[in-house]
Formats: sequence, structure tokens, C-alpha cells
Amino acid sequence: MPTSNVASSAATEPASRSLWSLGWQRLKRDRVGYVSLWVVVFFMVLGAAVWSGLLARGWDQEVGNPNTAPMWAAQEKLQHTGTSDGMEGATGPIIRLTPAEDPIADMLAAAEHNKSKYQTMEAPKTDALILGSDQRGRSVFEKVLQGTGTSMLVGIFGALLSVALGTVLGAFAGYFGGKTDDFLMWFYSVFTSVPDMLLLLAFAAVAGRGFTTLILVLSFTSWTGVFRLVRAEYMKQRSREYVQAADAIGASHLSRMFVHILPNISHLLLVQFSLLLVGLIKYEVILSFLGFGVGVKQVSWGSILGEVPTELMQGYWWQLLGVVIMMSTLVTAVSMLTDALRDALDPKVK
Amino acid sequence: MLGYIIRRLWQMIPTLFGVMLLVFVVFNWVGGDPSYILAGKRLSPDALAAIRAQLGLDQSLPAQFWLFVKQVAHLDFGLSWSLQQPVTRILAERIGPSLTLTGTLLVVELCAALPIAVLVAYYRAKLIDRVVTIVCTVAMSVSSLVYIIVGQYVLAYQADWFPVQGWYDDSLLHSWLVFVPLPLILGLAVSLAPDVRFYRSFVVEELQQDYVRTARAKGLSERVVLFKHVLRNALIPVVTTVASSLPFLVLGSMLLERFFGIPGMGNELLAAVDKSDFPIIKAITITIAVATMVFNLLADVLYKWIDPRVELK
Amino acid sequence: MIKKGLLIAALLMGAGLVPVYAADMNKVLRVSYPAPEVGFDPVKTTDLYSSSISSNIFDTLVAYDYLSRPLKLIPNTISAMPEISADGKVYTFHIRKGIYFADDPAFKGKKRELTAEDYAYSLKRLVDPAVHSPTGYLVEDVIEGLHDYVKSLNGKALDYDKPLPGLRALDRYTLQIRLKEPNSSFIYIVAMSHLAAVAREVIEANVANTMAHPVGTGPYRLAEWKPGNKIVLEANPNFRDYTLPTEGSGKGLDAQIAADLKGKKLPLVGRVEVSIIEEEQPRWLSFVNQQLDYAGVPFSAVNTIMQPDPARPGAFKLLKKWSNMGIQLQQELAPEVTYTYFNMKDPVIGGEDKQHIALRRAISMAYDVQREIRDIRKGQAKPMQNIIPRGFVGNDPNYHGAVDYDPALANALLDEAGYKIGPDGFRANPDGSRLELEMATSPSALDRIYNEAWQSAFDRIKIHLRFKVAKWNELYKAATEGKLQMWGSAWTADYPGADNFLQLLYGPNSGQTNNGNFQNKEYDELYRKTLSMQDSPERNAIYLRMNKIVTGLAPWAYQDARINNYVINPYVHGFKQHPIYYSPFMFIDIRK
Repeated sequence: MPTSNVASSAATEPASRSLWSLGWQRLKRDRVGYVSLWVVVFFMVLGAAVWSGLLARGWDQEVGNPNTAPMWAAQEKLQHTGTSDGMEGATGPIIRLTPAEDPIADMLAAAEHNKSKYQTMEAPKTDALILGSDQRGRSVFEKVLQGTGTSMLVGIFGALLSVALGTVLGAFAGYFGGKTDDFLMWFYSVFTSVPDMLLLLAFAAVAGRGFTTLILVLSFTSWTGVFRLVRAEYMKQRSREYVQAADAIGASHLSRMFVHILPNISHLLLVQFSLLLVGLIKYEVILSFLGFGVGVKQVSWGSILGEVPTELMQGYWWQLLGVVIMMSTLVTAVSMLTDALRDALDPKVK
Repeated sequence: MLGYIIRRLWQMIPTLFGVMLLVFVVFNWVGGDPSYILAGKRLSPDALAAIRAQLGLDQSLPAQFWLFVKQVAHLDFGLSWSLQQPVTRILAERIGPSLTLTGTLLVVELCAALPIAVLVAYYRAKLIDRVVTIVCTVAMSVSSLVYIIVGQYVLAYQADWFPVQGWYDDSLLHSWLVFVPLPLILGLAVSLAPDVRFYRSFVVEELQQDYVRTARAKGLSERVVLFKHVLRNALIPVVTTVASSLPFLVLGSMLLERFFGIPGMGNELLAAVDKSDFPIIKAITITIAVATMVFNLLADVLYKWIDPRVELK
Repeated sequence: MIKKGLLIAALLMGAGLVPVYAADMNKVLRVSYPAPEVGFDPVKTTDLYSSSISSNIFDTLVAYDYLSRPLKLIPNTISAMPEISADGKVYTFHIRKGIYFADDPAFKGKKRELTAEDYAYSLKRLVDPAVHSPTGYLVEDVIEGLHDYVKSLNGKALDYDKPLPGLRALDRYTLQIRLKEPNSSFIYIVAMSHLAAVAREVIEANVANTMAHPVGTGPYRLAEWKPGNKIVLEANPNFRDYTLPTEGSGKGLDAQIAADLKGKKLPLVGRVEVSIIEEEQPRWLSFVNQQLDYAGVPFSAVNTIMQPDPARPGAFKLLKKWSNMGIQLQQELAPEVTYTYFNMKDPVIGGEDKQHIALRRAISMAYDVQREIRDIRKGQAKPMQNIIPRGFVGNDPNYHGAVDYDPALANALLDEAGYKIGPDGFRANPDGSRLELEMATSPSALDRIYNEAWQSAFDRIKIHLRFKVAKWNELYKAATEGKLQMWGSAWTADYPGADNFLQLLYGPNSGQTNNGNFQNKEYDELYRKTLSMQDSPERNAIYLRMNKIVTGLAPWAYQDARINNYVINPYVHGFKQHPIYYSPFMFIDIRK
């Protein structure tokens, strides 16, 4: 009986719980899906470790020489140019500002006297880094880890916000119908008739930079898919028996919408969420490439990839490698998990 | 049918109004003041005021919006702020290259993706399905940027099999032969995997329908079931998706155009956003929005035409 | 009838045997610009790329010699350099006879000769309120009576036929300009492409779209234009007899070019195709595949293209791989300065009191210019030491105006000035309030790299730094309104005069080019004084004093001047980087 577990019972809780526990049983049987689940969990833990500062905290330390290859790869030793102070063309003795001409000569003299306090030995630069170093001599390994944390944060919160926005608007449109639906559908049609990328560019240009902007911009442009799905579901569900029953016991509209109906479509939302997660992570990369990425003190996969085109021409491929490995693993795992979830949570499939 | 089409066309007006409002709000709020670009290296308040007056920026927001609505109604988007050329002329020149690339890409994609999707769906859950699905998933996990950056570097620069970038302005055919192949290949690399998966899901869904079981039970050959019944029904969502993706052909693929120096709409749009060239952005947005609405209508009509059971509301 | 037609055809073909113009129409020069042009109305554009095309289409009265360094002005459409009156105010130009505009329908099939009236008309266009020229300032306050006339218009149209005392065509070929005050840089202004001659008939026939319809007397004419994408020039058949004006130094590259071009009628290449390629990678790849004939070397490609030349300290040479292909490398210091300015009106970072001077100096000390040149610019830049670029008249090569990199001293100096380190490990203002500075930046990848460098600099002196990221035009607007605290700027020479750079710190230019609002009485007085002085030890002494004022008060953190690297394919002849002419197409030959 494909649809019985939803429709036949007025009490929603057991219905959805049985779907979820059934789904869990199915997921465990799906080997690919199960492994993917653990990979995703691993990334979540990694992300959490990075956000909390347990991992990759020192990613911005300049520990190595600039652009060193990974320790396991051969690299021709770069011939560094000596630096120039720009005085090569001098034809006579160098002229500088004399203390008499300097408005802060006395302060400088005193400072010169005290400067030994700040004289520090610079830590020796290493050439032995797992994934080499970037242009500023930072460890690419740590940088990519840090980027993983950022990109996941952007993806997860962006997807959560999109799902929330799409669900709330979709629920109102589908549940109430009529004028509310007309208005929200108008809103929806306006957003869908402007290309995503154009909307993204426009919004990204409006607000400042950083996490919050990115997350807001991404969710603002990607709620439409969830909206359409949720609206259709609510239209279908609102006439179902269990909703009628809830009406009979005097549940308010809001409670019917979000307490009674929502759990019945939650499996769809989970699938939407994981789809969006992948989509948003990819969008973040493109936005960063176009210059709308995270701020200077943050690093994400997108901002690292932004450095790649120029690096590749110089033969520095290790940042690309690091990001591609991490990104592909996570995105593949999430995609496969999405498929597995879709199959596992599909009430039609026995 | 005709009544339906007319009703749908009538419904487009509020949407179009909404799009105009959205574009106007976003860009007048965001876009930056272009008079500073036009004023150049050394500017005086007089020069700025003159430029702002010329651009209509000194008027109130409602007045500027009304001006915009009137422009759309007349299909005249004025002069590009940064290029001082009529917008319609610039965009007319840009549409050809975009269509040349994305049109080819669409056809090649369909021809490549559909057969694979049908094949894979037919052997659902068999080894070949699993392998293709996994390959697709992995291929999709790599950012499109990586394909383009690495592809251009390896195939054009290191192997020298293709020109790095360029376009012949006088001959689209010539450009198509010389400059389209590499972006086409990279575009295909980016989009083949999602397409296969997408189309596969349609076919799989059809294969699970009761009528397939019935047809098989009736003893129809697998080939007849697959190609006569399943494919026909699976084509409906394919056709509608393709029809509704047509407006995006007009926009082209921004990243491909940017990297390969193709003078298309996407490239123009990126440049325009960069330079706050409102007239161009507005024109492109409105054009694409109208195209989206028209092609969505077309998709619905096609839907009805392929599958007469569908009722048009 | 038919016979007559044939006869004419035969005559035309016969005529074709005699070379009407020397340019070989089968030769195509292909180059690229890294950013889009705007258009080709000389008075309406200011960007380098538009002006570079304009200078191939239009003619100025005087022009820079192609080979001579330091730059030298030579007569262009005039028979000799202008006569200047004893008081330095009156310039008389004698225009050569027999110079013709390129053909255009506006001339109704007649050959149109260049006259003094054309220059008078073109100069008036610069100040015409209806034209909105962004470069009108070049002449408006300089030529006598122009400003007063424009002010008197009050919304009325400018009357081009009205004689003006400061700007007169004495006869068909003689132009006289009278200045308000003597100005040693005026002759450089005359050489700018904005002051080139346009034809009144053409402008009036195309008022709405002068950008797309340039018609001049120069070596090329616009054959095709796809805005922001492609510009095609074709040799102008009406271009006058023109040969290489001088042999420059007569040594090295100059001798080679002189031998190549001597006695030949220029231009040599019949068709020039300029494509706009904004991304560095495709641009370089196009050059390598000989789809571009010469190209600038992007910083990102420096390591794969060249290496330090042990024979010449500080210089680079091509890697074997490229030099074996016959590719040539040309290095030239750009006529520019790059710096980060501090807003002198800002309460936190501005001001001429000792405490704020110390703060700005400490920031300069913490930024490692030499390291950033090595790592970001790949060694392709020289630190800035003087407001006036190296090689310019007035630049003292012995003056060391930059602050040395010394983070320890910077920290000690901040302690001395009262910026104490608080419990959070960062410095506070002397009054104890929170100290956080804001630097403006554009969102490009290169800007991001520089931001990281600045971030390290501020970390070294323990001061909070925040970035304000916005598009360039937004920042420019905020800058002119004095709303930015710090912003990186670059200034490239409009003409090789020291005043073109010194004006960046001239008080009255605040809100225009002086974005840091630096206002120093002594500096301003000295600046005004030098304007009317000719090159002399006295003027150099004043320039040195002005430099010292700036070093002392530190309104700028000095950065660098880039080295322009060009790679040239072996079949390209005659190309030499020119500090002012970005695109000297008419001297280039292609011999495959």
C-alpha cells in the first residue's frame, strides 16, 4: 500500500515516524548511501572543529616560503630576485629628510632608543608542507581546511535559510490559496523570470561582503524551488482527512500548517536541503571568482579558486588540487546521500 | 486553446511590472553612481551635476521609474552609459554569438544525454546504471570553473589543439567552426552529467508507472514499451525543461563567454554590472524575463500538444 | 555606355598600380587591450584605451617623438615648434598646408584640408557645456577669456563663430593662443589627444553619436567597432607623407628601428585589429599562439616567462624556451606612482599634529614594499621614492623619500605617540578609545592579494584594520567626497611634466585629484610658484623641498612604479614602448 502510511492515519506523528524509521532501515541497506552519510558526518565534524578553532587556527601564519610545492612533489628551485630599493639611478650622495626637517624627529629618536623591545627573531621558513604554500607562504593544507569550514558554513546556513523561506512562503500560498496564493505566485514568478546569476550579481553588489551577505544573497535567489514544491504539497495535503480532523479539534491555521502538515513533508525538505547545499557551495565558488566572495580575513574554497587561474600559469597547481579533492569529496558524498535519501524516504517505493 | 494563450499573455503584465520594479529597486539602490565613471580623472561639481542631469539621475525615484516603464513600453533602452551607444544595437550584436554557442551546446547535449539516460534508466540498479550514476555524481562535484580553467589551459595552451580564444565578427559560421569547439566541449563536460541524471530520473519515473507493467504483461516487446510508450511520456518533461531553458540560451554561458572572449550577452552583462551600466542591465533583464515568460507558455502549449490528456487551466 | 564603363574601370585599375598609399592592406597587426574602451570622441574620453585609439585617428599640433628618451616634443601638423612671446603667454602655431582629413560623407565628396579653424573649433568643444567634456579643465582656466565666456553663457548654446581673444585663427593656417598666465606645461597639454583636431562638419552631422564616428587626419581611420570587444583600424588613404621623425639615441633598439623604418612612408600595416581580453590567462595564451603580435606580460606569468638576468642587475631576460622562439622582451618603468593615501581631514588618521604624523609614518614603516614587489609584482616594479616619477624632468634621483621598512621602530614610535597596546593585544587611541582603521578596496583577485599584505602590515603594529569593499566607481565617489580613510591609488602621467604629479597634493585640488585632502600652505605656495618656472636648478630645489614636506607629514604611504614588460613576436618590427603613446601602430611593421 504505497500511500497508506500518510493518508490513512489522522495522527501525524506515528505516520511520519514510521516513514523516517523505515527510511533509516532502507538507508542502512544502501551501502553507497550509508558510506556517503558517514563522509558527510565526517565533514560536519571537520567543519565544527574548524569553526570552533580546534583545527587550522593558524592558517593565516606565514610559515613557509611563498609558492613552495608540496613536500612530496619535485619543484625547480625558484630563482628569487634580489629586492631593489628603487635608488639604483642615484648619481650622488643619497638625500634624506634631516632631523631638522622632520616634524617628528624627537619621537623617532626616542623610538629608536626603545625599539629593541620589539625586535623579534623571525621563525625560520619551512619548505616541507604537506600541500605546499600559497603566495604569502601560508600552508595550503591549513588554508584548504579553513576554506572547508567556511564553505560548509555558507552552504549549510544558506540552504537552511532558503528552505525556511521557501517553506514558509510555500505553506502560506498552498494552504490559504486565493489572494494570498495569487500574490505569492506573483512574487515567485517575478523571481523566476530573472536569471539566477543576474539576481545573484545584483544582490551581491548591494550588500557588503562576508558570510552574512553571502548566505543572504544565496538564499534570496534559491528559495523558489522549495516554494513551488511546498506549495504543491500543501495544496494536496490541506484537504486530507488528518487536516480536517485537526480542524475539527480546533487547531489554528498556523498549528495546522506547521504542526500537522509540515512533518508530513519533512522528508521532501531534507532532500531539498541537501540539493541546495550542493548548489550553494558551487554558487559560492562562482561568486568568489567574480569578486563577491568572503572578506580578506576569511578564506573559502571559492576565494582559493579565485587565485588559481593566475597560479596555474606559473605552474602552481597545489591549491587547485587541495580544493578539488575536498570539494569533490564533500559534494559527491552529499549528492549520493541525497539520492539515497530520496529513495529511502520515497513513500511510493516499498 | 486560443483563449488560454490570450489569458496567459494577459497575466504576464503584472509579472513584467514586478520584474521592472525589482530591477529598478535593486539597481537604483545598489548600482553605484555612474557619473563618477563618466567624469574621469579630474572632476568638478559642475561636471558631475551636468552628467547627472544628462542621465536623469537628478530626478526623483518615482520619476526615474516612470521613465524606465516608458522606455520598456517603447522597447527603447536609450544609450549605454559607458559605451554611449544605443543599447538595442549593442544587444542585437551580442545575441548572435551567444546563440551560436549555447544553441549548439543544447543540441549536442540533448543528442548525447538522452540516449545515455534512456539506456541507464532501462538497466536501472544494474552495474552500468551504478557506474554511470557514480561517474556523473563525481563529475558534477567539480566546479564548472575548474573545468574551464583547466580545460583552457591544457587543451588550448599546452596541447595547442584549439585557439585559446577569439571570435570572427563577420562570419558566425567561421567562428562556429574555429572558436566554438573548445567552449562547446567544456560546456558539455560541465552539463552532460547533470543532464544525464536529470533525464534518467524522468525515464525511471515512467518505467515505474502501472501502464508499463500492463504493457509488458500484455506481451509487448521491450523495444516497443521503451520507445513507444516510455520515451514518449518521458519526453514531455524533457521538452518542457528544454523549452523553459531556451531564454537562458539568449543569455549565453557567462563564464564560457568571459574566458573565451566570445562577444555574447553574458559577457556584456558581466561588463555592465562591473561598470554600473544600468541601461544594458535593465534591457538584458527585461528581455530575458519576457523570453522566460513566453517560453514557459510555449512549454505548456507543447505539453498539451504532446499529451492531449493534460488539461490547461 | 558599356564601353565607357569599361574604360573607367581600366583607368581605375591603372591608377591602382601606382601606390596611392604605402600601407600594405594585407598586413594585419593584432593586439589586445586588457580593459574596454569607451569611444573615440577625443574630448569625451579620459581612459587610456580610448585615447590610444584616438591618437591613431586624430592629429595634435605637437607630438612626442617616437624614439627619443627623455621624451621630446616635435612639430606634428605644424611646420615648426610654436613661436612663444617673450612674456610666455602667446603661442603662435603655423599649420602645414596640404594635410587632409579622411574621407567622410559629411565632406560631400570633397577633399577636406586641415586648417587653424579646426583646432580653434576643437579646443572650444572642450569647454562647451553641451559636450560635458571631462577634460575641459585642461584649457578652461588656462587660455585667456575661455572661462569667462563659458560662465557668461548661462545655459545658452556656445557660439563657435564668436571670436575669442585667447583663441584665434589669424589666417587659414595660423593659430594663436593667449594664456592667462605663463605656463611651462601648456605645450604638453597641446600634445594631449583631447586637443586633437576634429572636423566641424563631421561632428555636427553625428552629434548624437560622436563616439562612434571619429574622422581625423591621422594615420588610421576606424573601420569597424564592436564596443567593448573589438576595434578595427584601417590605414587612412588621405594620410600625409610621413616618415620616422628622428633616429632617437641611434643605438641599440633605436638603431634597429631606424634601419627598419628609414625613408619608408608610414604607416606600414594596413589593418589593425584590437581585441579586448580582460582575463590575463587567455591574453597570454593568445600571444603564445601568435594570435596577438605583441602583448604585455601579466604579473602572474612573469615566473614562467622570464628570469633575472645575471649580466644586468635588476633586469630580466626571457627564459630560453621563449628566446629560442625569437620572442623579444622590452622592459620599461611606467611613468606612474602608486601609493595609499591617508585622508588628512579624518579625525582618526588625518591632521598635521605629531601624534597623527607618527601613526601614518608607523603604518608606512610596517608595510614591506620590497617584499610585496618581490612576491606580488614578481619583481616587476621599483619602490617609489619621489612624487615625481623617475626619468621625469625635476626628479632628483638621489632623493630617498620613502620610509624604510622597520616594524620594530614602528611599534616603538606608536608607543611614543601614545597609541598604547591594550589588554586585547591591540592598540587604542591615545585617549583610550577603540582604534580601528578602514581601508577601501575593490573586489578583484589582485586587490585581495594586496589586502592580505596590508592585513599583515597592520598585524605587525597591532592595529585593527577593516576593509570597505565596493566597486571602483562607488569608492571613487566616496573618495572625492572625502569619506574614505585610506585607499590605494595610482597616477599615470598625462604628460611628462612634474606638475602633473605634484598637483595630486595641491590643496585646491581636494575633492578632485587630491583625494587625501592634503592642504599645506607652504606646499601650495611652492606649487603655484613652480608653474611659471622653466626647468632650472632653482625649480629642482623647490621640487625637493616639496618632496620633503610630503615625506615629513606622510599624507601618502609610498608604494611603487610598475615595470611594463612587453613580449614581441619575432616577425614584428619597429615596436618600442612609449611612455605616452600606448599604441604606436603607425611605426610597426609585420614581416612574416
